[in-house]
Amino acid sequence: MARVIEYIYRDSIIHQLNPVSKLAWALGVMVLALTFNDPYYLLALLLSVGLVGLTGRVLKDLSGVMKGLSIFALILVLLQVIFYHGAYQEAIALGIAMGLRMMTVVLSFLVFLSTTQYKDIILVLTEKMKLPYDYVFMFMTSLRFVPTFLNEAIQVGYAQQVRGCPIDSGNPWRKMKAYIAVALPLVLISLKKAERLAIAMETRGYGSNNRTYYKEPVISTLDYFVIFLVVILIIGAIILRCKGLGVLH
Amino acid sequence: MNPVIKINGLSFGYEFGDSVLKDIYLEISPGEMVALVGQNGAGKTTLVKHLIGLLRPPAGKVSVADLDVANTRISKLSRQVGYVFQNPDHQIFHDTVQAEVAFGLNNLGLPREEVEPRVTAALSDVGLEHLAHENPQRLSRGQRQRVALASVLALRTPVIVLDEPTTGQDYQERKQIMALVEQLNKAGHTIVFITHDMSLVAHYASRVVVLCQGRIILDGDTREVFRQTDKLAESLLLPPQVTVLANQLNEPLNTSVSPVILSVDEMQDYLQRVREVKRNGTGD
Repeated sequence: MARVIEYIYRDSIIHQLNPVSKLAWALGVMVLALTFNDPYYLLALLLSVGLVGLTGRVLKDLSGVMKGLSIFALILVLLQVIFYHGAYQEAIALGIAMGLRMMTVVLSFLVFLSTTQYKDIILVLTEKMKLPYDYVFMFMTSLRFVPTFLNEAIQVGYAQQVRGCPIDSGNPWRKMKAYIAVALPLVLISLKKAERLAIAMETRGYGSNNRTYYKEPVISTLDYFVIFLVVILIIGAIILRCKGLGVLH
Repeated sequence: MNPVIKINGLSFGYEFGDSVLKDIYLEISPGEMVALVGQNGAGKTTLVKHLIGLLRPPAGKVSVADLDVANTRISKLSRQVGYVFQNPDHQIFHDTVQAEVAFGLNNLGLPREEVEPRVTAALSDVGLEHLAHENPQRLSRGQRQRVALASVLALRTPVIVLDEPTTGQDYQERKQIMALVEQLNKAGHTIVFITHDMSLVAHYASRVVVLCQGRIILDGDTREVFRQTDKLAESLLLPPQVTVLANQLNEPLNTSVSPVILSVDEMQDYLQRVREVKRNGTGD
């Protein structure tokens, strides 16, 4: 079973935080990651995100995905080295920065999504931030379906392999062609699923009236503190950046 | 005969969870028709996935046609084992039924003059020859299921595994599919099928394997297995009603001697014989 971007129930302080503050944190991390390109700064940022994941007791569950991502990051470094016009060391530093940046942003969102129930996110975005429910629902549902989609992908891969489809071939060209046989059924299944979901929702009265919600979103003192901290960090980062710190020359 | 499927001490658990299969020993000889039954979650699908390398045994050994599943490529195993999945939509992607069925054959690298007759034969076997040029997406779920079945049958593998082949089929289609499977079995194919339909088991299987919480709790001749109602009840399985009725009628007698009835016809025969014996008895 693929288990990515899925709410993981644990008893932790991160789980109890309001989705708004966690989302603010994830977005803040993204801003910070884009502000700097010095590998040391980015490494520190990544470690801080890892620490949050550890506090939320979900880091171990995400380690598989992060392992895959680090391979991808290595490829990024390699590409930089090959294609960068300039000094060799510079290319490596930039490549590492890009890899770290990607891992940091992805990990922060994974921590956010694995510690937050998606219905709570919808609730906050619509009730507190007054975004239209339809759009919020659409966005969150597509996220929610990612793990389902990955599982389907595995099943489809199985179904084609047993018909001799050379997904396990060593030849990259044959392998690529074989993946068409996985991609197409996946698209078809997803379309069908979307249609079924729409029907299932409408038959249960979706869009018939102003909706009410099951739970009241609570914003605690800790949440205000987290949001305050994120804002301070962003301002601090911008000041550092303006002074020329954390940026490669 | 040398078994075609050998499972020796197989245990398996998914990454996030308890063990699903516990110490499975199973040997299936060529030409057998085996029904694999048990509650949902008993491990049936997990077990058969090991027959074609979709899952690799972490403990124990699984071999099919003398190939060790642990280190044989699926594309190689697929020449020995055909596998029909529960959900046909996991495999259908071509825009004609014909091309869909030909897909596996092309993967095996068969020449065109061999692919065509095989596709035609497989489609007529499942009763879809008139839809050969139709887009599978426009067919009903039951028909798509049969497209998937045809695409595996066309491979003509010695072993065929069917995971709930009759789901979503009406009575007529179900009978048609199982008659076809029976015919393949008579032609020498080894069949393993998963089902929840005990009347199908009674009618078609020569051997029944009952899985309960990852263990084989019963394995034997269909009649022998259906005699053991208590053991079956453990995994909430009930033999066909006619079998239950016959077992209950037999209860006052010595059940180990009286026959296990698998079909209405057998019941009728049996009752007739009982009546004759009785008539002769009173005649004396």
